[in-house]
Amino acid sequence: MRSGTANINIDEAVLIEQCRRGDFAAMERLIIKYQNRIYNVILKMCANPDDAEELTQETFVKILEGIENFNGRSSFYTWAFRIAVNLTINHCKRGQKLVTRSIDAEDSEYNEQAKTQLKEFLRDDGSSEPSAVAQNRELCRIIVDSLSKLDDTQRAVIVLRDIEDMSYAQIADVLDIELGTVKSRLSRARSCLREILEANFQ
Amino acid sequence: MKENLNIDEMLNGFIDGELTVRQQTEIQRLIRHDPQVEQRLRQLQRCKMLVGALPRDEAPDDMLERVKASLERRTLFGDETEDFSRQKGAKHLLGRRLLTVAAMVGLIIALGAVIYSIVAPESVSEKSNPLRRETGRIAARPEHILTDFAGRPVAATAFRGRLELKTADFTAVDAFIRRAIEDNGISEYLGSAIQNNRSVYTLACGRDILNSLLSDMENIWPRFSSATLFVEQDRLGEEIAVAGVSPLRIAEVIGQDSYEKRIEAAKKFAAMNEVNALLPGRQVLAAIDGRKPLSITIPRPVLTSGEKTVEKSSRRAELGEKVQLIIIVAGSR
Repeated sequence: MRSGTANINIDEAVLIEQCRRGDFAAMERLIIKYQNRIYNVILKMCANPDDAEELTQETFVKILEGIENFNGRSSFYTWAFRIAVNLTINHCKRGQKLVTRSIDAEDSEYNEQAKTQLKEFLRDDGSSEPSAVAQNRELCRIIVDSLSKLDDTQRAVIVLRDIEDMSYAQIADVLDIELGTVKSRLSRARSCLREILEANFQ
Repeated sequence: MKENLNIDEMLNGFIDGELTVRQQTEIQRLIRHDPQVEQRLRQLQRCKMLVGALPRDEAPDDMLERVKASLERRTLFGDETEDFSRQKGAKHLLGRRLLTVAAMVGLIIALGAVIYSIVAPESVSEKSNPLRRETGRIAARPEHILTDFAGRPVAATAFRGRLELKTADFTAVDAFIRRAIEDNGISEYLGSAIQNNRSVYTLACGRDILNSLLSDMENIWPRFSSATLFVEQDRLGEEIAVAGVSPLRIAEVIGQDSYEKRIEAAKKFAAMNEVNALLPGRQVLAAIDGRKPLSITIPRPVLTSGEKTVEKSSRRAELGEKVQLIIIVAGSR
């Protein structure tokens, strides 16, 4: 961990209060604490590192500018991610800086080894493990590209749950939707994603 | 289909650990007894694992610096812009408010002036009322000051005034007036002066005689292009001008039995001229007719019967009050 977020163990409420008083050191600690998690979620949603950097930066600026108005009705964690996800969804909807390359056109570019590994993993024949998937960059690219084909709101739900590991209640808070909506949206998102992934080797 | 969706939701909840104990038990029972449900569960689990297995990307090392730089930039430029916009907005708002207040004050003053000119005492308001000057205007004291034979100013209770008449047919009209004065035997006819198409007749007589003279003049009244009666106010040395006056109105003013009533009658006719001038559409109608809108006078009444509106013998003649009137006849082109 380059920024050493694991070593920061400051009570979040105190940190937020210090930020409200204009304590720059507290602001720095807050950024360091959340920057990797927010950047990772944004990158998985927008699939473009340059855009993810800009959106992460904008997210923290908005967090620090709006921290005086943070009322504590939700946790700071979900409030911060709400800002990040909303900025990213809006960015994706605008389509101004979305990756313009055609994912469909690149399907044939995935190597056969990655496709086979994906097929084995999804069919659960026991030959592939998740750790092996993470080491195959080509397979990771297939997964990220497949995520990009999902609807923005479905992608947000699946990223928050399976990557950021949020609970359903936290997802509902971040996206400002009902708990039942989270369940149905996540169910549809996983079904769609599986279909998209399977289409790569059929 | 809906059942499948519900089972999918339950299976996803089971995978994510979001079910109650009872729901978990139910799903476990389903998995044990239904291979399809078990297969579906594995599919969803694999999908979740696949996404979760993606490597965690880390923010760039300079993210902290970039955020700080962005905040500083916004503080420097954003605040200045905001302050400038706020100041500009405040000035604009203040300007608009002042303008509104000024407009309201102006409107109230204008409205007050119009109302005051109608209802207020003449002596106070006339000098400052331009509208008044236009119609029932205040004129300077005439060069011909009325006196009695001894050269003393006449009594305050006697009518004193001046009638200015303009006609395009000066010679004939002047001759008619001169003859009418002689025919009515005005004993204290003080004489006349004719100079440059202008005659001045200075009369001092009883009301009945003057009424008789006016009655005679009715026949030639339509030949006057304008007829204005100036009634003197003894108190302030000013005059009330009644434009577009008719013999009937002159008789009505002169016939009042007190100084105050005469002044009041003259003011009433002058005010009627003003109201007439303020009637909406008047200027538009004048423009349509091709006339100048500034000629604001009451149309002279036209006598339609043979009855004389002014009696030759008036009861007031018995009172012996003298009326002093200067008639100025001027030729107009």
